[in-house]
Amino acid sequence: MAVQASEPIIRVDNVTKTFLGETGKTATVLDRITFNVGNEFLCIVGPSGCGKSTLLRIIDGLDTATSGRVLFHDQAITRPSPKIGVIFQTFALIPWKTVLGNVEMALGPTAVPHEEQTSLARKYIQDVGLEGFETSYPKELSGGMKQRVGIARALALQPEVLLMDEPFSSLDALTAENLRREVLDIWRDPAYPTNAVIMVTHNVQEAVYMADRVLVLGGRPAKILDDVPISLPRPRNQRDPGLYDFADRIVSKIS
Amino acid sequence: MAAPEFPGNPKQPPRNFARNVVSGTLVFGVLGFVGAELAMGGMLAPILANPLTIKLPYYVARTLARMSIAYVLALAFALAYGITAALNHRASHVMLPLLDILQSVPVLAFLPIVFLFFLSRFPGSFGEEISSIILIFTAMVWAPTFGVIAGVNAIPQDIKEASQAYGMGGIQYLRQVVLPAVYPELVWTSILAWGGGWYLIPIEEYFTFGRCLAPPCPPHTLPGIGFYIADAANRSDLASSVFGVMVLVGIIVLIDRLVWRPLERRTDKYKYESVTSPTANAHHESRVVGSFRRAEGRLLTPIVSFLKYERAYLGSFLETAHLRPRLHISDRMRLHDRWAKHTLAGRVASIIIFAFLFFLAINLLSNGALSSVESGITIIQKEVGIPALFYDTGRSLLRILTSYTIALTWTLAAGMLIARSERVSKLLVPIFDIGQSIPATALFPIIILLLVRPNLGNPFALEIASVLLMLTGMQWYILFNIVGAIHNLPADIAEATAAYRIRGLRFAKEILVPASFPAIIIGSIQAWGGGWNATIVSEYISVSGQNGSPTVYQVPGLGSLLNRALSLDPTIGTVIIAATILTMTATIVIINRVVWRRLLKKADKYKFEA
Repeated sequence: MAVQASEPIIRVDNVTKTFLGETGKTATVLDRITFNVGNEFLCIVGPSGCGKSTLLRIIDGLDTATSGRVLFHDQAITRPSPKIGVIFQTFALIPWKTVLGNVEMALGPTAVPHEEQTSLARKYIQDVGLEGFETSYPKELSGGMKQRVGIARALALQPEVLLMDEPFSSLDALTAENLRREVLDIWRDPAYPTNAVIMVTHNVQEAVYMADRVLVLGGRPAKILDDVPISLPRPRNQRDPGLYDFADRIVSKIS
Repeated sequence: MAAPEFPGNPKQPPRNFARNVVSGTLVFGVLGFVGAELAMGGMLAPILANPLTIKLPYYVARTLARMSIAYVLALAFALAYGITAALNHRASHVMLPLLDILQSVPVLAFLPIVFLFFLSRFPGSFGEEISSIILIFTAMVWAPTFGVIAGVNAIPQDIKEASQAYGMGGIQYLRQVVLPAVYPELVWTSILAWGGGWYLIPIEEYFTFGRCLAPPCPPHTLPGIGFYIADAANRSDLASSVFGVMVLVGIIVLIDRLVWRPLERRTDKYKYESVTSPTANAHHESRVVGSFRRAEGRLLTPIVSFLKYERAYLGSFLETAHLRPRLHISDRMRLHDRWAKHTLAGRVASIIIFAFLFFLAINLLSNGALSSVESGITIIQKEVGIPALFYDTGRSLLRILTSYTIALTWTLAAGMLIARSERVSKLLVPIFDIGQSIPATALFPIIILLLVRPNLGNPFALEIASVLLMLTGMQWYILFNIVGAIHNLPADIAEATAAYRIRGLRFAKEILVPASFPAIIIGSIQAWGGGWNATIVSEYISVSGQNGSPTVYQVPGLGSLLNRALSLDPTIGTVIIAATILTMTATIVIINRVVWRRLLKKADKYKFEA
């Protein structure tokens, strides 16, 4: 795994986002954000409400920047792309679809032939450890299992880029710890085509454990306060004292 | 962006509903007026020439007084019955199913006999007012009663335990926990209650039923806005009757803005915080609301402060709750869930109590002429015939089914349009909002004037008019439940489907229809209730002729049977009315059980987790 990005996959170029309030006042949330993402695990941390999620939504094409642009291999992103997978904080599973149905749903609008969709979905359900739960409904699953479905759904697209919006913050601490490790294992496994990961979180410890590089977002409107490479070898231990030095540096920037 | 856009999507700024309503009213009113002016010309002159126009403010005041008195009574009943049923576990076994049956009785069916009964005791204005208020009460009372029960049930277990732990007893618990918990539900259901009352007003104030079959008719003694509309339509004065409807809508919208909207805003205080996007929760406070709040702060502080108590915990089991009450799906769903869980003993007991109350009422209303059930059955067999009763039920059922099919088809199409484009939604929703705020019955005289009068000899036209009248009483329930479901689509689901590019037909088929399925069922149940109510006024149309004597046009059905019974001998008439009401209620309850409740169970699958 090349830690240093050679060729940027995603370029966030001077992105500014302004919301129009009800009373006609405008509020700038993101102020001229610029960074590149290569083959790396990038975490964006910042206090809640600072615009991290908005930034992620702009990168996925779910929202548009007021000014500036986001490039995906030199192509401007204006709408969601099948080459980008998204994992949501609240899982966003369709309650009336089974585990299999939820994963297949992502493949529906793609060019994957219909008969291959099911086998592909099954493969990724297996990979996230949900074998045997294909016909279960989301409400029958625990939070951790639901998020596994969310992960399988994103992976089934075989995306180049994976976006994660606080994927572990709705889970209990123990489940989150396991799932973090598993996500890293999947990402490091060369069998998976996904190399670039952008994860938004407010959990600094989590960011430092998972990321190659941490972008610190803060202020109103939010700017990039710091860009911290986490130069620790992998696999890492979530309780490695070395993580605390990085975490301290990041926390001092935010507060 | 080609991703599906939702009215409730967080990336859209919240729609200014109030402004839309006002502008919708204006557009609707002006367009209608200009259209009519162009079509017929000289709209203003007849309105000014109408001698009743000058009396309109007085009429409005009379109508509002009637509504207010009935509402206060309904509120008192709702609190007493609702709190007892919700807090007393044993009583609830009987009280809940009984409520279930009582609210399925079409209120309008009682209208004629209640009027006859009170008019025979208090002839003239007093009797009319009493009977009209009682009937408005029965139209208003059920929704708030269910609201109170739902509110009390929503008190979280930890709050109950905490108040026990701190030794909060009786009155204190009632004031500090129960009443604040009930408040939001009470506001929403009160809006529904007033809607029900408005539906009844035009009928009470105008429709003659048995009161005026033999001319000369007594002078009308129930003045009000509904009377103004119908009187004008009756004299073929389209302009005045349309003007009357506009005034009525104006009043309804005004009450909504000045009373319900501010009260509704305050319900936020008694709700759980729900995690939604910050934009979706942004609130805009109008100047009216602002001044209302300030005045309230001075006048009502003691009351408000007790309502504010425990505000962090109480209230919301509703998800995103700044839409209109009829848009709230989840609460209605949960009530239906509860009904399904009645014990057998409770159901039997409730049916027995209902039968007892029913026969007591019939006996009272018929002045004790009915000696036994057997004699009643004999009368029915002789005067109507059991097969005829079934035939009439079938005809009414078929008519409701036709209206329902039409309503479901167009509302589904409208729902899809609203879901697909924010712009269409902005255009249509306020128009629908105005449309549904017009009490359907206020339009009856106008529909009769335009559709029935020119085609008196044509039975087919009568049938169409009847279906149309029914449609006006059914369609909005389905539409607004569907719109509500679309609004309430969770933001994360909307986001995920957009991110995974689920669009167009695929989106409609896989997300939209399943997501609105529970709402469609709830809307259908309400619509069928409205449909049965409408049979009574839409199957039997009495139009007064040149010399003041009414001519009657009718299509076969339970509604017209009920009306016909009024001209018979009082004892026989009362028996037939009772039989009709029972048949209707039984049909409604059976359809609820066989069709709707099953579908509701199915709908469980399509609910989003709270």
